[in-house]
Amino acid sequence: MGQDFVEVSINVLKLIVIFLLIVQAVPVLVWLERRGSALIQNRLGPNRVGWMGLMQLLADAVKFLFKEEFVPEKGIKVLYYAAPVVALIPATLAFCAIPLGHPIKVEAFHMLGHSWGPYVFPFQGYDMNIGIVFVLGVSSLAAYSLLLAGWGSGNKYSLLGALRASSQVISYELALGLAVVSMVLFYGTLNLSEMIRQQQGVLVFQAFGQMISVPWLPNWGIFYQPIAAILFFAATFAESNRLPFDLPEGEAELVAGFHVEYGGFKMLLFFIGEYGHMMVASALMTVFFFGGYQIPFVNPDEVYQNLTLSLGSSTLASVVTGFLHHLVFFLKFAIFLWIFIQVRWTLPRFRYDQLMDLGWRTMLPWALGNTMVTALVIFILNRSVGG
Amino acid sequence: MASESFLFWLVALLTMAGALMTVTLTNPIFCALSLAVTMVGVSALFVTLDAYFLAGVQLIVYAGAVMVLFVMVLMLFDLKHEVKAFTRGIFSGALKIATVGLTAGLVSGAIFATMRVSPPTGEPHLAPANDLTAALGQLLYSQYVFGFEALGVLLLVVAVGAVALARSKGGTHAGS
Repeated sequence: MGQDFVEVSINVLKLIVIFLLIVQAVPVLVWLERRGSALIQNRLGPNRVGWMGLMQLLADAVKFLFKEEFVPEKGIKVLYYAAPVVALIPATLAFCAIPLGHPIKVEAFHMLGHSWGPYVFPFQGYDMNIGIVFVLGVSSLAAYSLLLAGWGSGNKYSLLGALRASSQVISYELALGLAVVSMVLFYGTLNLSEMIRQQQGVLVFQAFGQMISVPWLPNWGIFYQPIAAILFFAATFAESNRLPFDLPEGEAELVAGFHVEYGGFKMLLFFIGEYGHMMVASALMTVFFFGGYQIPFVNPDEVYQNLTLSLGSSTLASVVTGFLHHLVFFLKFAIFLWIFIQVRWTLPRFRYDQLMDLGWRTMLPWALGNTMVTALVIFILNRSVGG
Repeated sequence: MASESFLFWLVALLTMAGALMTVTLTNPIFCALSLAVTMVGVSALFVTLDAYFLAGVQLIVYAGAVMVLFVMVLMLFDLKHEVKAFTRGIFSGALKIATVGLTAGLVSGAIFATMRVSPPTGEPHLAPANDLTAALGQLLYSQYVFGFEALGVLLLVVAVGAVALARSKGGTHAGS
């Protein structure tokens, strides 16, 4: 983690801030979802408590805290209590591994009679060299929470919901994984920061010994891998159990699916888990296909150098650069979150056989084909460059 | 370092407890869950050894596979029948006694073996930390390609066999 006191404390602080970020973003997202759905369906939505209904969520949180605490009679207590916690952990762990801004470089300085060496703080919880493998591995654990909830509740609707959820997650994880594989092939790395670094500047690529440059497009992954982008985004909808893939909680058939028996704060934890998955998916979309935290057409190092010249202090310039790019990241991130909400209130729910059909007979072949074509193209291009 | 050994003991104890519960609990649901805990623990041990890629793959492959197992247990087993089948009768009694003997042998063997182990000598062999993943991929697809592919075929055979067994008569479903 860190070498000395300053570094360790900043790293610990970062982890706490990212955790709070996920937990605190959920009320805002819920508000956005309710107001947004009202906008889409031409009604008002919550507008009584506070300005534009913003305080409604605070009131809801208090309500959740004071609700009666109970365990269903035929439920299994351990599993029933473990499930909401398990729902929260994977999303937060995965989100910590995603770079949210340009790394901040701090020059050596004097404080309290000590000299503290130069630091580099990555703008993320922890920088792992295997980035995407870790994110996928950790978030694949989320399916356990649905199964635990379904079995632990001792309710047949819960169990049916959990079985639906697990089969759905298993089916769509294949397409998701293959879309990621084609991106890993394309970038040649598993490290998310390195992927972002490769998307700098304008669209430039080498084909048949010539440099082809498109000055009016940024160098983003989506222009190289559009199929992977579509497959990835669609599969993340299924992974986070959102409409049109929300069969695990289909109200008309299963009451509320795996969380029928949950109320109060335990129910809220499931909510946070679901929104956490949405956030991880949006962040990964940004990183893979839309240049991560980078401003389109602009190199972060140039921003840093210009700011150093105008501000005078390189530490201050680095901090400003970091937060500026963080804002850009958040803008892109928010657009994807909004698409999640928009889609939820636009598309109807699939029928179960349609869901399985889409996963196994449409998305999997396309993802497989995309991976093979990507591998072939990379192989041929590398050969022509080498020989 | 103290913090590292603390982490190691914590994770190791968790993993061991998970493994022990996998074999000792009678309810298949809890067995599958304990197995999942074991897998997560092994993955955490890989992280403490700086083998991040293996840790991630461990999570994806094994924890995912155990989840499938969990679903299989839910869908294929008659849980009440299962408990009854393994708590009565001469056969299961004999099995229990044999298992106790084997476990005792295993534990005493482990104790004696660890007492005889000498500490490693010389410099530990360390691979370059930054492209461990690339090195692993190269090895898997060149030197160990036969084993790798054979394992894939084996898993396919197991999957097909499991479906065939579940569909035909046998196991706890015989007669129902």
